[in-house]
Amino acid sequence: MKKRLFAAMMAMAMTASLLTGCGGGSSNGNQAASQTGGETDAAKKDETKGTASSDEEITLRMSWWGGDERNEATLQVIEQFEAAHPNVTIEAEYGGNDGYHDKLATQLASGTAPDIVQVDPEIFPTYVATGDYFLDYKDYGIDLSNFEEAYIGIPINGNYDGKQLGLPTGISGAGIMVNKDLADAIGLDFSKTYSWEDLITMGKKVREYDDSMYLLCANKEYIVNLVVFNYAKQLIGATVFDPETKTLNMTEDQLKEIFGYVKRLYDEEVVPPASYQAAYSGDNLQSDTNWIGGKYVAALTYISTIDVMVAANPEAEYVMSELPILDGASEAGWASNTPQVFAITSTCEHPEMAAEFMDYFFNDDQALAALGATRSVPPTEKARKICTENGSLTQVTMEGANIAAAMGGTPNDKISSSEESKTILFDSVETIGYGASSVEDVTKDAISLLSGLGQ
Amino acid sequence: MKGKANYRKRDYQAFLYIMPWLIGFAILQLYPFISSFIFSFADYSIGAKPNFIGVGNYKKLFTQDKEFWNSLKVTVLFALYTVPGKLIMALAVAMFLNRDIKGINLIRTLYYIPSLFGGSVAVALLWRLMFLDNGVMNAMLTALHLPNVQFIGDTRYALKTICALEIWQFGSSMVMFLAALKQVPKSLYEAAQIDGAGKARMFFSITLPQISPIIFFNLLNQMIQALQNFTSASVITEGGPLKATYVLGLKLYKEGFSYFKMGYASAISWVVFTVIVAFTLLIFGSSKFWVHYGDE
Repeated sequence: MKKRLFAAMMAMAMTASLLTGCGGGSSNGNQAASQTGGETDAAKKDETKGTASSDEEITLRMSWWGGDERNEATLQVIEQFEAAHPNVTIEAEYGGNDGYHDKLATQLASGTAPDIVQVDPEIFPTYVATGDYFLDYKDYGIDLSNFEEAYIGIPINGNYDGKQLGLPTGISGAGIMVNKDLADAIGLDFSKTYSWEDLITMGKKVREYDDSMYLLCANKEYIVNLVVFNYAKQLIGATVFDPETKTLNMTEDQLKEIFGYVKRLYDEEVVPPASYQAAYSGDNLQSDTNWIGGKYVAALTYISTIDVMVAANPEAEYVMSELPILDGASEAGWASNTPQVFAITSTCEHPEMAAEFMDYFFNDDQALAALGATRSVPPTEKARKICTENGSLTQVTMEGANIAAAMGGTPNDKISSSEESKTILFDSVETIGYGASSVEDVTKDAISLLSGLGQ
Repeated sequence: MKGKANYRKRDYQAFLYIMPWLIGFAILQLYPFISSFIFSFADYSIGAKPNFIGVGNYKKLFTQDKEFWNSLKVTVLFALYTVPGKLIMALAVAMFLNRDIKGINLIRTLYYIPSLFGGSVAVALLWRLMFLDNGVMNAMLTALHLPNVQFIGDTRYALKTICALEIWQFGSSMVMFLAALKQVPKSLYEAAQIDGAGKARMFFSITLPQISPIIFFNLLNQMIQALQNFTSASVITEGGPLKATYVLGLKLYKEGFSYFKMGYASAISWVVFTVIVAFTLLIFGSSKFWVHYGDE
């Protein structure tokens, strides 16, 4: 009888563990160390502030994606905060970018998302539009005085209908990263403003100089994000979609002109063949063997990836250059924005403490020093000053940020930023690159598919 | 009466023992199975309320979505390349390992190892690195003075590259074939030998009919698995180039988790399910012509 009772109890226990296993309440794997040795400056400072007064045990979950450097820096800030708040444990859930947002989307929908989440600013609008998932920072008294009001006041940087649902982690933008030694040897000058046509001429010069070299390191994703969208905005003087009417601002002829230009990039060998690029798609330009071997004069790049590209071929000297401008364009095309936003989810049970942590994350000297430029050029002047002083912000990255900020322009609208719209354009560029279909046919298909998105 | 009461009690107890599995099955399989069927008739995004549109998703899939027919073709091709390839490979290796030589157990284990990795992302990543333009495979081709191949970037080779990974993971089928081969009575081979039958004749007239139930089982299992492929197509080629490896499993994932169109993704999942059922029925239907059981 005892045996049976024991067996029954075991069965119940297993059932219970199965159920809790599905609950998703606890994080696994990448747990942040919850203890730190000694008392930090932050702890001392906080005692004077008196914010660590509560004895209530609080556990917060925080998720982000990033490389080792970013992970270590973020964990360090968590440790500093926990040392100052002994009753608070912040469970860190971090990993690579692959699948991060797919997981987050399901977590948000099922109410199991972490309390503090890092989100891609171009995906953030989709979440904001589909549910009431995030809290307004302004309701929780976070100090926003270090941010420039104009910078955090736009949707791409987290402000939606006056609500500060996200906070930008840095300043990002695009540019062309030039291998200066090689450009000088071939006689290419990237220091002046130049046109899209000039880019093609430069590409030809590179092939004449050495037929194993190409002007631009790029793939279909970079061509869409940095060439197609910028060319389009410069050509039509507005975003690809009208955010109000949700209809295309671009005509079929205009898209045909843009795709025609993309075809020339491939045909006139400004970029390597599409079949070569396929092996280095997505955010993998740094693993392109031709880049590592110094066979490109320049690369299309984001400010947040400059350091990674430099590390892949550290021998060369690099300078940043702006992207081409269409003759007579009234719109520069690219606007600098943030590479990520941090948001507090509405399912958070301790929003005050989550906001206090975010306040520490964005404003405390020690936190800013630890974070450095691990999320691109920091978003506040205070942080930039700290990073320049401690050497975590490189000259070429700072140069990139200045160029992107100076270029100005309108960020992409919500529909063109969506994964679906981008995939339509990625597929179109790939088809053109492989020469699998004519520019006219690709344009017709793309217009038909893009038109269906706003409905 | 007492006996009957005890029997009932034992019955409940047994039910209690399998309860963890039943609960898991109900929550993780039955519920998604039914709800995906319901959502397949709705325009449903994550976080929004479903809007029922009848057979709208299926209509769009079959009549407007150009990608669908390509994905269906790629999925079926993937299954038709990998399933026979894997079974032939598994059977060949099983026959090679079906002998008594020194260290045979170690060799069997080594051949089984690739299957332990299953649909692992790490192995797919490794595969990708091996087949890159500057990967090990091209280095080997160069060493043999053969021209290099763009395994990932060339539409002619991309699907075959991911098929090769699937075929390489032949271990589980191989183990089953090995067990089956050991069950074939030696007396049959001895009798055939006395009658003057050659190796090939013995293979086709004794070995294959004797192990046909296991071939049937492996064929069915592998076909179901191949039609649901996702990992290798996603990690190695990301469905490209030019959708040459855009299997239905990957399309379903993109529609559901990248575009948040859960209703449409559910419809695709039910089409995949129907395709699997069709292939299963076909294999079952054909089995009476070529599967021989011991009691027949």
